[in-house]
Amino acid sequence: MSAKNTYISDVLVIGAGLAAERSAIECASAGLNVIILSLVPPRRSHSTAAQGGMQASLGNIAMGKGDSPEIHFADTVKGSDWGCDQEVAKMFCETVPSMIRQLDFWGVPWNRVTAGKKKYASGIETEDTKDKEGLITARDFGGVAKWRCCYTSDGTGHTVQFVVDTQVCKLGIPVHDRMEAIALIHDGETCFGAVARCLRTGELNVYLAKSTIIGTGGAGRIYAASTNAVINEGTGGGIALATGVVPLGNMEAIQFHPTGMPPVYILMTEGARGDGGYLLDKDMHRFMPDYEPKKKELASRDVVSRRMVQHIRAGHGVTSKYSTQQHLWLDIRHLGRQWVWKNLREIATIATNFNGIDPAKELVPVIPTQHYTMGGIRTNKDGAAYGLQGLFAMGEAACWDLHGFNRLGGNSLAETVTAGYICGKQVAKYTLGQTRNFNMKLVDGFVKKEEERIKNLISGKNGRENVYEIRDAMGTAMMDHVHIFRTGKSLEQGVAKLQELYKRSLKIGLRSSGQGANPELAQAIRMPGMVRTALCVAYGALTRTESRGSHFREDYPKRDDVNWLKRTLAYWKEGADLPTLEYEPVACPILPPGDRGYGEASAGPKGK
Amino acid sequence: MGRKLTISCFRYNPNIPGDKPRMQDYELEEYEGMTLFVALNDIREKLDPTLMFDFVCRAAICGSCAMLIHGRPRLACKTMTRTLPNKFTVMPLPVFKLIGDLSVDTGTWFRDLQVRAEAWIHTNKKFDFNALEVRMNNETAEKIYDPEQCIECGCCVANCITANIRPDFIGSTGINRVYRFLIDPRDERSDAEYYDVIGNEDGTFGCVGLMACDDMCPKEIPLQENLAYVRRKMAKAGLKLQFQGVKIS
Amino acid sequence: MELAKNLQTTINRSHGKTDLYVDLAQSISGVLLIGFLWMHMLFVATIVVSPELFNTLSEGLDKYYLAQVGIPATILLIIFHIFLALRRAPVRLRDMRITYRMAKMMNHYDTWVWVGQVVSALFVGVMASIHLWIILGAWPLRAATSAARVASSGPADVTWGAFTFPFFIVFYVIFLIAGEYHGGFGLYRILVKWGWWERHTMGWVLKGITVIIVCLGFAALYTFTQIAANLPAGGAIH
Ligand SMILES: Cc1cc2nc3c(=O)[nH]c(=O)nc-3n(C[C@H](O)[C@H](O)[C@H](O)COP(=O)(O)OP(=O)(O)OC[C@H]3O[C@@H](n4cnc5c(N)ncnc54)[C@H](O)[C@@H]3O)c2cc1C
Ligand code: HEM
Ligand code: HEM
Ligand code: SF4
Ligand code: F3S
Ligand code: FES
Repeated sequence: MSAKNTYISDVLVIGAGLAAERSAIECASAGLNVIILSLVPPRRSHSTAAQGGMQASLGNIAMGKGDSPEIHFADTVKGSDWGCDQEVAKMFCETVPSMIRQLDFWGVPWNRVTAGKKKYASGIETEDTKDKEGLITARDFGGVAKWRCCYTSDGTGHTVQFVVDTQVCKLGIPVHDRMEAIALIHDGETCFGAVARCLRTGELNVYLAKSTIIGTGGAGRIYAASTNAVINEGTGGGIALATGVVPLGNMEAIQFHPTGMPPVYILMTEGARGDGGYLLDKDMHRFMPDYEPKKKELASRDVVSRRMVQHIRAGHGVTSKYSTQQHLWLDIRHLGRQWVWKNLREIATIATNFNGIDPAKELVPVIPTQHYTMGGIRTNKDGAAYGLQGLFAMGEAACWDLHGFNRLGGNSLAETVTAGYICGKQVAKYTLGQTRNFNMKLVDGFVKKEEERIKNLISGKNGRENVYEIRDAMGTAMMDHVHIFRTGKSLEQGVAKLQELYKRSLKIGLRSSGQGANPELAQAIRMPGMVRTALCVAYGALTRTESRGSHFREDYPKRDDVNWLKRTLAYWKEGADLPTLEYEPVACPILPPGDRGYGEASAGPKGK
Repeated sequence: MGRKLTISCFRYNPNIPGDKPRMQDYELEEYEGMTLFVALNDIREKLDPTLMFDFVCRAAICGSCAMLIHGRPRLACKTMTRTLPNKFTVMPLPVFKLIGDLSVDTGTWFRDLQVRAEAWIHTNKKFDFNALEVRMNNETAEKIYDPEQCIECGCCVANCITANIRPDFIGSTGINRVYRFLIDPRDERSDAEYYDVIGNEDGTFGCVGLMACDDMCPKEIPLQENLAYVRRKMAKAGLKLQFQGVKIS
Repeated sequence: MELAKNLQTTINRSHGKTDLYVDLAQSISGVLLIGFLWMHMLFVATIVVSPELFNTLSEGLDKYYLAQVGIPATILLIIFHIFLALRRAPVRLRDMRITYRMAKMMNHYDTWVWVGQVVSALFVGVMASIHLWIILGAWPLRAATSAARVASSGPADVTWGAFTFPFFIVFYVIFLIAGEYHGGFGLYRILVKWGWWERHTMGWVLKGITVIIVCLGFAALYTFTQIAANLPAGGAIH
């Protein structure tokens, strides 16, 4: 066995989600030759699952009147708990309105403003005037000063991904789906492309390019319970980390969404609470007002999630058939059947389809669930990865650092296309200045190495560890030790467990023959990278002795700008069993650190 | 204690020389709230690590996991085992190329469809970064969203006998895709241009009206209405071309 | 490369209108045929009212040459229809196998209905030829001759328990059901395809009409047998 095919292009794009495809469009429009790789057909990427919307300060709807990029910027920085890169955030907030309009130009059926008086479920009354009718409308989302979340009914991610993909189609950019990048080809200074395994046949292919873009999405699946798709295993970060020279930034910053529905943890969008839904405990008591008298169920995601776990810990959790863990209830019965099935239809269908629950008359089980990785491959504001020339990263896989320590709902879809545009342009510029120059011996070396790995996995030369056992143990360790509430002691235990698992992950042996598109082999190839990523999260969290955004240390409950206004950079050195952590300062040139203005001040582990 | 389920799975790996298509039974214990997503993963992780199938979102949004469950094409992730008998079969979708076991290549098929249907907005305008968006009625936007909801799961193709016996037929999803652009005011194509794309036997006139697509679309897209709209529109366009004296090729 | 090939076939079809005409013609032939069939059944059913009415109508049709023009036109229309409809039927063995297997596995109502239509078409095709052959061979049409024909024996009579049915009664019952089934659901699918009405309600309406017509048919057949029983022995035909 050796590489079946070698493909050479100007730009190699790993991933076919929104960030990846949007950047591919930018490069192809610059006349470059682009190839896209993806685990799945583009339209199945996880971006399609986003239902809520995209933040952009269009200010068309009455509740968004007077909105501007500056206000959006302030919300983003506050949301990030001053952890974000303010230059990036500024650029982002200024660009995103034209991105929304361009998506409209390409065909996204954004919902529009309708003129007239309106009364919302929350009791707010407004009037939209004729002069705004027909322009793109917006809805409310947590943690914002103005309504600016643009949406298409309950399928924003779906429509945006489909429309962006139509442009990829139109430009004739080849997409090699079911093709998984398993290693980057590099010489320690420059990246030359990737080795990829075909998930149809199991063959290895080589992709060589002047520039390589990683847009592989989130890493939620390092947790046993996540709202993410099952393919969000952080493989992009994994292969970048494996180079030894590219760092992952701020991996400890993990967002938890308050309402994942067990047993498979499907996301119940914020809309349920936005429209007036309650959270109840085992005694049918509505507990959020006890903790957050002002915002109640609508405090920011990190705050609500913490309160929920806190309440469960205080002995008020529900034990039921729906989950092996204790959970709480989401109650939307009082909104009435008509409201539930009309305005919250997606929630109603999910509850019906996946748990046989009719939320108009029954309670829905919910529990805070891993939702988003703020961290990722650290890049500069052009999207260029630290450590390797010619390597770029975008979207959830990257730490461009728009989100700092907490992402604002609706900012990540917006980030994918905006980063794809801004950074895509930079990739094109960089690529046009390069000449092709590949060292085939180097390439062969990488192919051989991957072949060797695969051979050893199949033969069990290094051991006979069961890949699924390791994956489950990793997921559980992350749930037990690196979840919403973190303490030094528990994190230490978590790190120790993960180190142990990392060693075992190097001794995986298959139970099957590994022939063809064998799924066990695919999992086994990813496993060490996943455990490394998990270790970056756990070790970064252990080392960061403060609380910031979604990173909450019970033993250090306060934000510490004196010591910790900095970004974690995790490297993985060859042969190590722990990441090497470095830090870089976070500058706040525009908005100096201050109070976020919600939840935080009262967020102690024991409540009031 | 749950029921004991027997899942009879289609097995065949074309990449293994000499492998033969067969049905293989797996037994497992059902538990409360079990979906086929959970059941199949259990089989793979505990009983047989070679079993191939596709899941991505496990929430009925991505369209990856369509298969023939107890004879009918459905999304496995949203099929609860308690709606099925003690013993049932799972098979890969017909029409699409088999990758192995329950996994089929819908990606290539749908890519080909997008290109054939030229499924993107055709316009001569240039995007202006500084201009406001063009206004649109909210109802129009919602009307476009309706067909746009198709998740390309392939259920409607698999259960259509026409698509099964005529490999070039673009299926209900294809006609629905064209419908989506047909009603979009941003697409400047004339009816005649649409006619060239689907006014033929592989397109709208190939549909026999079997309606399995309409009955089984997991997104409940009103396919009958959309298909009929396209058929009427294309018939009109064709007749108009005739009266304008465009030659029959 | 695969993509380009298909794009090419698309381009080659530019402005081609054959497919449209064939599709339109099929639907129109279907509508005309079902229109004919329902009229025909009403005509025959006048026998229930009285043989005189039946005869008057028949004479009227002959007198104004409606029969002389209508019959050949109908025959042509049927041939035309068969020619068009066969395009859609699973004619290759492979297609038949796929069709049967899929229909059985999915167990989907409308799909089975269509399979039934294809099968009933075979019956209708064979039986209509025989029917026309006999009718045209014994011109003109009168209540008495028809009655004798309906009640007469053919190649074999059918015995079912204590009853014996003359061959042609059995023939007509099967013919009636097959024809109505084929035509009624055919019309349903034409309307579904062109989509003016919601199909479930429309389906029930058409089923209602079909049942009424089948009942009329039975009544007519019964009346014919009653008339035949009262005819002088050795009847007027053959
Ligand atoms: C349930 C849910 C709801 C959400 N709702 C919202 C919302 O309302 N608003 C919002 O702003 N954000 C939302 N988010 C977040 C947002 O959807 C994601 O952050 C965003 O879509 C990520 O896009 P992406 O392009 O970075 O990656 P993805 O869309 O995840 O795409 C990753 C791509 O990489 C490919 N890939 C991965 N690994 C490899 C490999 N090794 N080789 C080749 N290809 C690979 C995959 O096939 C895929 O095509 C939501 C997230 C979830 C989980
Ligand atoms: C030898 C006789 C006949 C044969 C072989 C035949 C065959 C068929 C077949 C195969 C179809 C299915 C076509 C499709 O699915 O698109 C069909 C449709 C139909 N047939 Fe017939 N048929 C015959 C006679 C008749 C008669 C006598 C009538 C009238 C009563 C009739 C009415 C219809 C109608 C209304 C349709 C639906 C047409 C459509 O879908 O466009 N057929 N026929
Ligand atoms: C155009 C030429 C036709 C003529 C003149 C004609 C005439 C008749 C007549 C006179 C009868 C009464 C019985 C008899 O005399 O045998 C009859 C019965 C019948 N015909 Fe026809 N027919 C024609 C075509 C058709 C066709 C094409 C069909 C098929 C779809 C058909 C279906 C039937 C049926 C089902 C009966 C039984 C009637 C009943 O149940 O009451 N006929 N026809
Ligand atoms: S139309 Fe419905 S059944 Fe067909 S591919 Fe789309 S979602 Fe699936
Ligand atoms: S099942 Fe097939 S034939 Fe037409 S109505 Fe649906 S596409
Ligand atoms: S896994 Fe996405 S639809 Fe089933």
